[in-house]
Amino acid sequence: MGSVLAASSPNPPPPTSGAAVAPGLTVPPGFGMPSVSSVIPEAASGMQQQEEENPLPNPGAFDECHRKCKEVFPMQMEGVRLVVNKGLSNHFQVNHTVLLSTMGDSTYRFGATYVGKKQTGPAEFFPVMVGDMDNSGSLNAQIIHQVSSGVRSKLAFQTQQNKFVNWQGDAEIRGEDFTATVTLGNPDVLVGSGIVVTHYLQSITPSLALGGELVYHRRPGEEGSVMSLVGRYSGSNFIATLTLGSAGVHASYYHRANDQLQLGVEYEASTRMQDTSVSLGYQLDVPKANLLFKGSVDSNWVVGATLEKKLLPLPLSLVLCTFLNHRKNKFQCGFGVTIG
Amino acid sequence: MSGSNGKKGSSSGVMEWIGSACRFAADRNDFRRNLLVNLGLFAAGVWVARNLSDFDLMSPQPVT
Repeated sequence: MGSVLAASSPNPPPPTSGAAVAPGLTVPPGFGMPSVSSVIPEAASGMQQQEEENPLPNPGAFDECHRKCKEVFPMQMEGVRLVVNKGLSNHFQVNHTVLLSTMGDSTYRFGATYVGKKQTGPAEFFPVMVGDMDNSGSLNAQIIHQVSSGVRSKLAFQTQQNKFVNWQGDAEIRGEDFTATVTLGNPDVLVGSGIVVTHYLQSITPSLALGGELVYHRRPGEEGSVMSLVGRYSGSNFIATLTLGSAGVHASYYHRANDQLQLGVEYEASTRMQDTSVSLGYQLDVPKANLLFKGSVDSNWVVGATLEKKLLPLPLSLVLCTFLNHRKNKFQCGFGVTIG
Repeated sequence: MSGSNGKKGSSSGVMEWIGSACRFAADRNDFRRNLLVNLGLFAAGVWVARNLSDFDLMSPQPVT
């Protein structure tokens, strides 16, 4: 499979064992660490010249500010899931997903991923087209394309059987030390409704990035806007992010203790829902055992864990997931097998 | 007489303060209480992540 960058579908596929057919690295979605500027030998002394030679790095995408911490937490899964991935060529891959559920309907999903030939980076190929459809005819599709060296566009569609429920397009502009995104969601010219979301993230120092989000929504007889501010501080082995808005507060702290252990702490407070929660999660990665373990506990007395084991040399990956809600006395268990 | 009454007054005041603090901490329906308690838990979680996670899982077992 060719390289896929930021090709995250609305329902992200389960982690695969990565039996790629084609060369090229598959970058995990949302890998948004700020790039480190290369060290340039000084031609002359002077702080100004040093500052010019070491520019501020690009801060990454706005949506990726909290993602590093969120990736540490286990993903809740219920029922039995079987995923089969098959690469048909260097650019095309299909996958079949069967989900047997005890709480909802059992489904079958067919997905396809196409990666183009235009290479913009060591592991970036465009355009990227990702789509999947379930047995009831509901479709999720995304098209991502690098229009120019600094502009990336995305189109996303979602249908509920034969009815479009979500359609949006966005353009992301990546400068040397800033990232700006404009998203237009569900525009309806006939009714006069739609949602516009703008993001801006600016590197202030090599470690500090500040930004904001503005959401404007309009319907017949109603319109409104919501603004929030975000700040992210990155250290050598940690990332602290804070989002402040009228809707509430979201703070996250990601810490990489060593190559095996990563921890994440998340705090969320919603003024609209009048609710707060804090979660602690950790991820243990033991590559020698082909094992990945994630655990979490939160203030709502929910304890969860996910175990992922690659059954080498077979192209199989086994996933076990368990969540316990002690307050509501509920138990949820999931089991998954990924082939290919 | 007045001294013992003053001592009793101050101790009852302290007890009342402790009682109100316990009722505040145990009231799950209070949004402000939830906000402060979870903020403290977040700070404790960050402290644990920064100070108690520096152990090497792949290090060899000590020989006894």
